[in-house]
Amino acid sequence: MFKKILVPTDGSAPSRRAIKRAVQLAREQKARVIGFYVGPPWQLPVYGEYVPPEVMSPTEHAAAVRKTAARYLGAVKKAAAASGIRCKCAYVMGAHPYDEIVKAARRYRCDVIVIASHGRRGISKLLLGSETTKVLAHSTVPVLVCR
Amino acid sequence: MFRNILVPTDGSVLSRKAIKRAVQLAKEQKGRVTGFYVGPPWKPRGNDESIPYRMVSPQQHAATVKQAADRILDTVKKATAKAGVPCACSFSTDDHPYVKIVEAAHRNGCDLILMATHGRRGISRLLLGSETSKVLAHSKVPVLVCR
Repeated sequence: MFKKILVPTDGSAPSRRAIKRAVQLAREQKARVIGFYVGPPWQLPVYGEYVPPEVMSPTEHAAAVRKTAARYLGAVKKAAAASGIRCKCAYVMGAHPYDEIVKAARRYRCDVIVIASHGRRGISKLLLGSETTKVLAHSTVPVLVCR
Repeated sequence: MFRNILVPTDGSVLSRKAIKRAVQLAKEQKGRVTGFYVGPPWKPRGNDESIPYRMVSPQQHAATVKQAADRILDTVKKATAKAGVPCACSFSTDDHPYVKIVEAAHRNGCDLILMATHGRRGISRLLLGSETSKVLAHSKVPVLVCR
């Protein structure tokens, strides 16, 4: 039923648990996993007329995001390799992670998104994470929400 | 990974789609399906001054709910029988279906709740159904949300 599983990650502990589940599901369904990370976009921090002296240039920022993505997506690659399933990873920069996640699901033709109930910003067990809620609202494919 | 899939249904078109998916997933995972329906509880209508014109006794109400449950859960039974998947069905009454759904998942030892984005009360594609979002918030097991 599921051939391609999209796993968005932000490197948080709940999302690492989601990766584990996704890999297990992929093994049972003989599917492949696509790890996905959305980094923050580059922004010039301008406070009125004042520009702080140690500003990251767009290239520096891109390098930093690439490094973070490599670290977070490395967890996906490692888990997939340990279970012997095919895996591909990608990252983009965007201010609205849910939008990029839904777009990625469409672009890679995934048939399910496996996502944690909350990532970094979730404060309580009773609340769904903000991005998860938005992915649920906008996704056209089924979403598996893991605790 | 998913050995026992709980499918709460309210008999709506979308929840029938969820049943289809659940049966397919159970077949592939060699698991079982637990169909579940939550009916409205019995409530005496009216206040002390007015005696309602047509009052339903608790027994009558229970019979009506049972009838509705049989009809609605029959789709689950039929779908599972066709696919050769073991199935158990039960129903309950409560004002807040999500409470019973989460309870049922726990009681039956289900490892996945599969439900539609919205059932009867959802109004739009962009909004999650009220019960679905509450189940998402309170469930301890993963929830697969289908469109």
